[in-house]
Amino acid sequence: MLENIPILTLIIIFPLIGCILVFLSGKSVKAAKFVALAFSGISLVLSLLLLTSFSLNIGTYQFMERYEWIPGLGISFTLGVDGISILMVFLTALLCFLAILFSWDVENRTKEYMGLMLILDVGVLGVFTSLDYFLFYVFWEIVLIPMYFLIAIWGGPRREYASIKFFIYTHVASLAMLITIMALYFEATPVLGYASFSMIDIASVSPGFGQVFQVAAFGALFFAFGVKMPIVPFHTWLPDAHVEAPTAGSVLLAGLLLKMGSYGLIRVALPTLPDGASALMPLMLAVAIISILYGAIVCLAQKDLKKMVAFSSISHMGIVLLGIATASQLGIAAAVFQMFAHGLITAVLFMMCGVVQHKTGTREIPLLGGLAARMPIAATFMMIGFLASLGLPGMVGFVAEFSVFIATFDAYNWLLLLPIASVAITAGYFLWALQRTMFGPLTEKIDTSRIHDVNWYEAAPLVILSILIILYGMLPGLGFDFIRPSAGVISGMLGVV
Amino acid sequence: MIPIEYFLVLSAILFALGAYGALTRRNTIVVLMSIEIMLNAANLNFVAFSSYFNDVRGQVFALFSIAIAAAEVAVGLAILLNLMKTRETIDLQEIHILRW
Amino acid sequence: MQPIEFAWLIPVIPLLAAVVIGLLGRKMKQGGGYIAIGASALSFFLSLLVVVSVLDGSFDSADGIVDGVYEQSGTWINLTSTYKFEIGIYIDQLTALMLMVVSIVSTLVIIYSIAYMGDEGGRKRRYYTEISLFVGVMLGLVLANNYLEMFIFWELVGLCSYLLIGFWYHKPSAASAAKKAFIVTRVGDIMFMIGIIILFTTFKTLNFRDLFSMEVSGGDIGLLTLGTFFIFGGAIGKSAQFPLHDWLPDAMEGPTTVSALIHAATMVKAGVYLVARSFPLFAQTPETLIVVAIIGGVTAFIAATMALNSPNIKRVLAYSTISQLGYMMLALGAGGYLFFNAMGSEGYTSSMFHLMNHAFFKALLFLCAGSVIHAVGTEDMRLMGGLGKTMKITSFTMLIGALSISGIPPFSGFWSKDEVLAVVWNAGSLSWVFILLFVLGIATAFMTAFYMFRLWFMTFKGEPGEASAHSHESPRIMTVPLVILSIFAAASFLVLFIGDGFGAVVFFGESHALQAGELLAETFSDPLTYASIIVAVSGLGLAYLVYYKRRVSSDVFVSTPLTRSLYDLLLKRYGFTAGYDAFAEKAVYGFSLVVDWFDRKVVDGIVNGISFTLAVAGNYIRRIQTGHVQSYATVIIAGIAIILVLLYLLGGLR
Repeated sequence: MLENIPILTLIIIFPLIGCILVFLSGKSVKAAKFVALAFSGISLVLSLLLLTSFSLNIGTYQFMERYEWIPGLGISFTLGVDGISILMVFLTALLCFLAILFSWDVENRTKEYMGLMLILDVGVLGVFTSLDYFLFYVFWEIVLIPMYFLIAIWGGPRREYASIKFFIYTHVASLAMLITIMALYFEATPVLGYASFSMIDIASVSPGFGQVFQVAAFGALFFAFGVKMPIVPFHTWLPDAHVEAPTAGSVLLAGLLLKMGSYGLIRVALPTLPDGASALMPLMLAVAIISILYGAIVCLAQKDLKKMVAFSSISHMGIVLLGIATASQLGIAAAVFQMFAHGLITAVLFMMCGVVQHKTGTREIPLLGGLAARMPIAATFMMIGFLASLGLPGMVGFVAEFSVFIATFDAYNWLLLLPIASVAITAGYFLWALQRTMFGPLTEKIDTSRIHDVNWYEAAPLVILSILIILYGMLPGLGFDFIRPSAGVISGMLGVV
Repeated sequence: MIPIEYFLVLSAILFALGAYGALTRRNTIVVLMSIEIMLNAANLNFVAFSSYFNDVRGQVFALFSIAIAAAEVAVGLAILLNLMKTRETIDLQEIHILRW
Repeated sequence: MQPIEFAWLIPVIPLLAAVVIGLLGRKMKQGGGYIAIGASALSFFLSLLVVVSVLDGSFDSADGIVDGVYEQSGTWINLTSTYKFEIGIYIDQLTALMLMVVSIVSTLVIIYSIAYMGDEGGRKRRYYTEISLFVGVMLGLVLANNYLEMFIFWELVGLCSYLLIGFWYHKPSAASAAKKAFIVTRVGDIMFMIGIIILFTTFKTLNFRDLFSMEVSGGDIGLLTLGTFFIFGGAIGKSAQFPLHDWLPDAMEGPTTVSALIHAATMVKAGVYLVARSFPLFAQTPETLIVVAIIGGVTAFIAATMALNSPNIKRVLAYSTISQLGYMMLALGAGGYLFFNAMGSEGYTSSMFHLMNHAFFKALLFLCAGSVIHAVGTEDMRLMGGLGKTMKITSFTMLIGALSISGIPPFSGFWSKDEVLAVVWNAGSLSWVFILLFVLGIATAFMTAFYMFRLWFMTFKGEPGEASAHSHESPRIMTVPLVILSIFAAASFLVLFIGDGFGAVVFFGESHALQAGELLAETFSDPLTYASIIVAVSGLGLAYLVYYKRRVSSDVFVSTPLTRSLYDLLLKRYGFTAGYDAFAEKAVYGFSLVVDWFDRKVVDGIVNGISFTLAVAGNYIRRIQTGHVQSYATVIIAGIAIILVLLYLLGGLR
């Protein structure tokens, strides 16, 4: 039934229409909010429809759409999803919807805020579904702009610094990607016989490119996507951007934008440049292990709750990279599942930071304490988020992490001992933070008389996310079955089982 | 016949003098005059070659050049007058709004 | 339809109860406590059915039973074509034993909680939710049919422990103890994970039946050894063996019922259960078995020493638990080593027998302690005394528990402890290590009797202490479980004498059927038996002299500088607590501060440095824009001149 409807285009178009309507909505703040919620909701419903219609046995692209755009240059508007991207599309639609809901009480320039969130929605959806390099790059860049504005206008005290740093840093990385795309285009055109930016076309000939070219191109792409993921040492934009961004902005930044980086590696870099990938695999492994441990250790020292969660994102994305670095079907599938898992979990974590800040006026851990007495529901969600993030079985993070570890041992044997140590460190910093903020006696250092528990628009997204976290934790097949065949296709291209 | 080299050297010297004046003098009118000198140097060159090779095209081009020089001076003086009105000065060293 | 096919309901019922209590508990009586009791009792009833079917022989011929094991299994996740995760249940005699123990003790403890937690008000709902959750996942752990499923329940049990230790989370000490318990056991869990991964990648399966029936060939033995070693690492954490023992004494911050259920009778046994369940694998790797035995023996000894002078009644029991768990590990290690050398597998049986007995008498001791604490409002034994007059039932039942744990015949503890020591002694013929461990074991037996009766005399005999003034016996809802448990504690040795004995049911390899007469003859003709009796009685006697008759003053223990410093050393737990704290605070946290500094100043410094450099460079380069037309013109003309010269030189111009 769905073969005839251009469902992917619809999923992307609706938030765009919503955005235009929001900007036309005049003075009414309520209208802006409802329109935004409605259109992102439509996108969410469509993505659920997509999930249910997805065939689980095919490893290649489904629901493909292709329209000629600039035929002279070989640029087409091509969309498609496979096992790697389907969960990301769902995650995007879900998180955008929930983030808009969570921001229900934004009062300063609400219209623009909602419009920017919708543009972000469009951009990320486009990145995850686009199968033409030019289109991919366009959507990639579209994502940067609303995030910049979200941080710069609705952010914290150091927002100008953070927003510019974020923009320039990731933009430089995008330039590396652009150069590589151009290089691939020019190398592929003579071999293909015609000019094409299509990922599928280029991927069909690129394994034949020379070793030096492949290594250089893969290195550039690793840098480009790595900055976004982020990898250590190119990660320092993340703590600043996250700390200064408004809560919903952080949710989307951590939940979606980071995944764009690893998605790019899996979709673009690995299958297109297999020789380059094999040559640089040890580098990826080293970077992954360093990111995991470095991110975890620094978390212990943080006094700002949000900064701690930001560094934990670095650590968890390191696990994604670790899975990718094993190049096996299990490793890649586990990495994608970890992307999905982390998206859900980090959304809860950042929403909790937002709740804490909103109710108490601060995120400084030394100033907090014993808040569970005043905000028991919030404390429960914080515990769920922290436990999910440290990989407690029964929640979605566990299967993802554990499978990555299995793949790591398969590929690299005793090197596993390094990243697996992070399991204890992660438990350490999260539980310590939980203890210092929520347990113990109620803090005297801030005014606690007006603290109340979560509002409906904060609780609803948290409940939905918690349910999904536990659902996918108990039935991981719901995610894994989607990912597995496509992961097999990619690992097959790399010659690893 | 005067060897053509003499004309060419004279033309080169005139051009250099004109260039020097255009680039270094502070008074805008002097700069305009230097530009005239440069144009005349080029004219001289054209005419010399025209005479030497018996090709009338050189002289024709020189006539064109004179006409353009006249037009250019007219426009230049108009700009200069405007400059005088707005800036009270025609000293080129003083005019540098598009600076860093 | 056999009852055993419904065995999967056993863990599910308490889990459902937890959900129900969690959502609706506010409106229920006692915060949902009766639902919790009902669920636990129902599980107990189902477990009883399972045990009956295991014992009466219908087990061997029923559907689904292969090789004496009942299994139901299904795929949980298909990871790839080579790897998949299963979910299922696995029932053999060991499972039946554990189900029995866990469900009986849980039910009795929850009944007891109705009174003990009576004053908690609105918090009761949370308590009963978390306790039901615990019972459910503990039963699930026992029923699991593969290592991954067991690991999942293992971690969930750890979660419940965290929640319940930190039950009174407004107390900073409780919150801190909960965090410590979780993190220390997590270190063990990492080792467990590594062990699982080694097994999974080497043998491509985690299913118990498949793994246990494998023939492991030469090259893989090394990996199997590493696998079992790391799996034991997990057991060290969960069962609080040295060196991951430090969390258990601190875990006493939780309510006493929690301590009784989780940290004495059930959760901490999970590590021992893991080793016992994995016995077919461990039995092929003698190196790991020696490690198991050594750690078990050393732990038993060290923990017993720490119990000698602790003034806190719950702490003494905690150290005692660690020590007894050490005994169980020791028996498994020594027994496995004997089995590896084809000298019988009594070690397995004796360890499990001790596990069963310990569950009963330790739960009993803790609940009695709870009764005392409830009555006098303190945990400090120095403030107690003379309670035997006012709390007769508690005093008597605790006496039974103390006699049992000390190994005084004919109580059950004697039989199991004696068996354990016999196994170690036998293993001594294979290696001198076991002789050493035997010595530690005997010394521990002495100390056990001593500190248990020190506890009993200090609490119930002698002059009433400061806190004993208003003491009274506890309500019936608390004393009835005490009585029931004391019956079990006293009489569980009878299973040795029914039919072919315990060894015919719980065994590894071949059955150890022993008729009652043979058993008695064997036991009392062995000089070791008398040695252990003498040792236990002397421990009791010493405690009697010091703490009851006051013939010898307890100050003798701190009279000389040497003994004084030993005394302090014991109170400080050999410096382990301080050591771990210092490691966490100074080493780990300090290192993180360094890395954070590095991140902010160096890594970020480079980024900011680049942008700063570019900005400064820009400041200089922009001065090219002078705004003077003439300088622009100069540059143009110079450029043209250079181009012309270059063209001339490079041959473009003739």
